[in-house]
Amino acid sequence: MVYEWLIANKEILKIFFGLIIGIICTAIVLRTHRLFKLSFHQGIRYFRNAFLFYGIAFLVRYILGAFLFFNLINPIYRQIITSVFEYFLIMAGFFLLYSLLWKNIEGENSKYSSSLINPKISLFYLMALILVLLDCFWGGLNFMFLSQVILFAIASIISYMNYSEGKTQYKFRKFYFIAMLLNFFAWLSNALVVFFFNYNQNIIINIYLLNLVVFILFLYGVVKVTELK
Amino acid sequence: MTKKRERLQVIRDILDSIRKTRNIKPTRLLYSSNLSPQMFKEYVNELIGKGFMKIDIDKKDKKTFLLTQKGFEFLQEYKVIENFIENFGL
Repeated sequence: MVYEWLIANKEILKIFFGLIIGIICTAIVLRTHRLFKLSFHQGIRYFRNAFLFYGIAFLVRYILGAFLFFNLINPIYRQIITSVFEYFLIMAGFFLLYSLLWKNIEGENSKYSSSLINPKISLFYLMALILVLLDCFWGGLNFMFLSQVILFAIASIISYMNYSEGKTQYKFRKFYFIAMLLNFFAWLSNALVVFFFNYNQNIIINIYLLNLVVFILFLYGVVKVTELK
Repeated sequence: MTKKRERLQVIRDILDSIRKTRNIKPTRLLYSSNLSPQMFKEYVNELIGKGFMKIDIDKKDKKTFLLTQKGFEFLQEYKVIENFIENFGL
């Protein structure tokens, strides 16, 4: 009964979904941007960029998607909107993973003045572009799903290693590991529903809910850790 | 063996030394920062450039370092920043 109602109203609900995720991402970006402006810490910068790109991706997909649904935009733009959404979503994933890895790659005293345009990040832009083009040629979002499953598997492993290192000292590392793991399961479910369950609507609704939980967890973590004592 | 200080800790130590004395001479700050002269120069230039501290030159042409509002804010939020970086493994 609930699923039927959700499926019947899915286009309207998608707009709300996009808006909620957009608001969550904006809150995370604003909160972390303030910390970055004080510390100039590259890790905070890449983390902030991840949510900036997630916010843009979801707003593009669901707000412009709504315009498409209500025939306010010509349907020929559908593929462009999907590709832009995919590009920003893949880049967001790369930024999130890189926020955990940058210290080992750039060193602590990184000299890059920009976190959006630098040689290392250019490689991610190129990889994201290749994945989007592959999906364009093959049709669907298969390459995006596969890349994100791999990416969040790696991010979960790194978060787990961080958690094992500072179990007692940093209580939120466990929480961050759980958030990454849930993200991995969300992407894995996305891939499975596309490859094996023929876009089953009931499963897709559950994935949407899982995604929402993941973003709320990220926001909760950021707010909790950054609140002034 | 003591652990090497992280970049943010070095910045905290430099700014905290200035805060404690209100204004401090370059030589005293160099000693209290526990850095090599080369590293000290790099950090000081960066902190001045980013507006965390400034140079004051008196009538006798003597230089002292002062903390700016941004420097105060950094010290106030240092724990939050450190907590964030460590808890998220950034």
